Amino acid sequence: MALAKALAFKAISLMIVLIGVLFLTVIILGMTGVSDKILRSILNEQLRGIRQQLATRIKDPNELNKALEQIKQELIKAYGLDKPWYARMHKMVLRILRLDLGYARTIQTFSGSKKISDILKERIPNTILLMTTALLINYGIGLLIGVKLAAKSGTLLDRAVSLYSAVSYAIPTWWLGMLMILVFHYYLHLFPAGGMYSVPPPQGTFLRFLDLLKHVTLPVITLIIALSGSWIYTVRAILISIAQEDFVTVARAKGLPENLVLRRYIIRPAAPPLLTNIILGLAGSMGGAILTETVFGWPGMGTLYYQAIMSVDESLILALTYVFTLIYILARFLLEILYVILDPRVRY
Amino acid sequence: MGVVREAFEEFWQSGVSKAGVVLLAILTAISIYVVLTMPMDFGTRYWNNPLYWADNPKAVPPAWVNHFSKVKHTVHTILIASQPVGVSYKTGVYLKYYNMTYNYVYDDFPSFITLKISNVTFYSEPPVIQLYITRPDGFIIPLYTLSIPSQPSGLPPYRVFSKGSKRILLSGDLYVARALSNFLYEKYGVFLGTTNVMQIGHEQIVFGDMVNKTYFKPLKGKYIISIVLLTHDLRDSIGRVEFVIGGRVYGLMGTDTLGRDLAKGLLFGFPVALLIGFVTSIFTTIIGASLGIISGYVGGKIDELIQRFADIVNNVPLLPILIFLCFIFKGNLWVMIAALIAFGWPGLTIVVRSMVLQIKSAQFVEAAISLGASKWRIMARHIFPNVAPFILAQLIFFTPSAILSEAALSFLGLGDPRIPTWGQILEYGFRNQAIFLGYWWWILPPGILIIISAVTFVFIALGLEPVVNPRLRRWR
Repeated sequence: MALAKALAFKAISLMIVLIGVLFLTVIILGMTGVSDKILRSILNEQLRGIRQQLATRIKDPNELNKALEQIKQELIKAYGLDKPWYARMHKMVLRILRLDLGYARTIQTFSGSKKISDILKERIPNTILLMTTALLINYGIGLLIGVKLAAKSGTLLDRAVSLYSAVSYAIPTWWLGMLMILVFHYYLHLFPAGGMYSVPPPQGTFLRFLDLLKHVTLPVITLIIALSGSWIYTVRAILISIAQEDFVTVARAKGLPENLVLRRYIIRPAAPPLLTNIILGLAGSMGGAILTETVFGWPGMGTLYYQAIMSVDESLILALTYVFTLIYILARFLLEILYVILDPRVRY
Repeated sequence: MGVVREAFEEFWQSGVSKAGVVLLAILTAISIYVVLTMPMDFGTRYWNNPLYWADNPKAVPPAWVNHFSKVKHTVHTILIASQPVGVSYKTGVYLKYYNMTYNYVYDDFPSFITLKISNVTFYSEPPVIQLYITRPDGFIIPLYTLSIPSQPSGLPPYRVFSKGSKRILLSGDLYVARALSNFLYEKYGVFLGTTNVMQIGHEQIVFGDMVNKTYFKPLKGKYIISIVLLTHDLRDSIGRVEFVIGGRVYGLMGTDTLGRDLAKGLLFGFPVALLIGFVTSIFTTIIGASLGIISGYVGGKIDELIQRFADIVNNVPLLPILIFLCFIFKGNLWVMIAALIAFGWPGLTIVVRSMVLQIKSAQFVEAAISLGASKWRIMARHIFPNVAPFILAQLIFFTPSAILSEAALSFLGLGDPRIPTWGQILEYGFRNQAIFLGYWWWILPPGILIIISAVTFVFIALGLEPVVNPRLRRWR
């Protein structure tokens, strides 16, 4: 019961974050008059479609315009464009909650759809592929090195890694990405500069996979260099603090082999605090992914952000803000569940 | 005061603290220099005004690369003359000579050549201005002739080119091409039409020796550039002539594709970065700390309210919201700073609250309560001093994150166009394919400066950590 309650509490608080972000964005859009602009562009998109349909039936241009004008007025009423923004705020919130996100101004899917939900469907898997690859490798490296360092705390190597983690905090991920392209693409010609596949993509599943691997290497390395510093440092700090607990001393006093002590008495109890740090670091690493994707032209959500800014596309920015928050909150919730499973203290 | 001194000695012990303080001193000194010497409207008046940079070579590396390369690249040079060196008289016409000498010692050719004439004064008929270049091999090329168009109305003396100077881009000019075609025939007996001359490039012919019809090698030596004013009136004069030899390298930091002197933009970034860092961190800390103290000390419903709110704001993914806000309130640095503050405070509030909860039960607080001290007095005089060192450390720690956030948003094209920053320089470089064209001087310095400024505060914060959090002292 306690478990369900804890999870329900988390779920509610995360839902409030989502709704809060949604309302904040919608209110700002309304107050600045941008929501009018968005609605009008949706309306015009629809009118264009209707015009084409009508043009096949009504040949007289005057009559066609008259009919269109009538439909336009109806649509304006239906969308609530004749009322102030706050009167139709709830409609907009509901529309976004249903993931009815409207149309992009210039950006299209491969098949040519301008519907934002279609574009996102195409992009999100790419982002998840890049992110999870980088994050998993990062967590692996952090655990391996962190454990080694914790055992050697105070040595020169340990201090060097501490310094690296401090400096890596100060390195903008996106700048590092640019540097990587300059060195490994421009000077050494080792890796492609960006994108996900070569143009045209090679034939055959295996070759395609190799091509993908070649394209994913630089962004993943960039993300790992940027993220690993603080992660190694965190692992090390948590392990050192647990290594000081009495039960570890007791285990050592019992004469258990050091390997067993490390595995069972230090690393296992470190899992929940480590997970907490993963949860807390999630937002930061997702932010890093937005910028890294942009630098490498990786066709995911991050690059979509940059394209939306460059093409001054308000609907797309709103949709991205909402969907990004949604994904973040879902990821957070999954990690929270994992946390509850890992940490018995939360359950009992 | 003993406590402060002890704390300072503790802080000063570590190498990172010293490095941080030295870096901060350097950053501050450069910022003060910039504030005193550069105009505050640098961004709008110069940086984003392409005309101001028109005479600079586009996208060339810094001049110091010559020290590291075998090929000595042409250094950007502007020759100036404002007084005639001599006057001669020939069949009713006075010739006033404005001479400039140029020692050409490079292994490649200039990127362009430009002539600029300012402040021509005349009394009767408009004069004619001619440009001759005397080469080291003794040949004289009559490169260009400029007739002052028509006589302005009013009484003499008449002035032209006094508001903005007359700028003649000699490279690519058809008139110059004809002159060069004649010169080639005269010297080598080779006939090349203007199209061929254009293809070779005017600079190569003026500053080169022909090897074959398409290949010229630099002709090193002394060149004399003469501007001759042909006039009927001895009082007529040119205020200033400039001969711009476009470099293949430029200044301390090179230029971007608009010809902007990157050194200037990078310099201006110093005070801006510090301003963004400090303003954001100071306000974030004030809000975060005071809410934390109130939440912890007052307790009850207010505590609950503040903590719930902090928890919600703390869980918002920052970058998407920042992008959204900066996008809607286009390119405004103050909106960016306000957003950073609005979403930056909760972490501090949550931690300060837990610290205050511990302090609250201390005896000196109870003593103060029993003496009848008011809530506000206790919070200000008894609680705050005890959390102050931690808050100070947080203040330092917020600074780099603000600098990095601004850089990131600028990189996404959301920077304030009125105020150039390092992030914006990088964004412009990225948009103009600098990384794919190998313009390293455009990409490396701004990034390194962002890192240095952020590292400065990270180092100081690291040095402060053992002072603020004595438990860490156990770790060596």
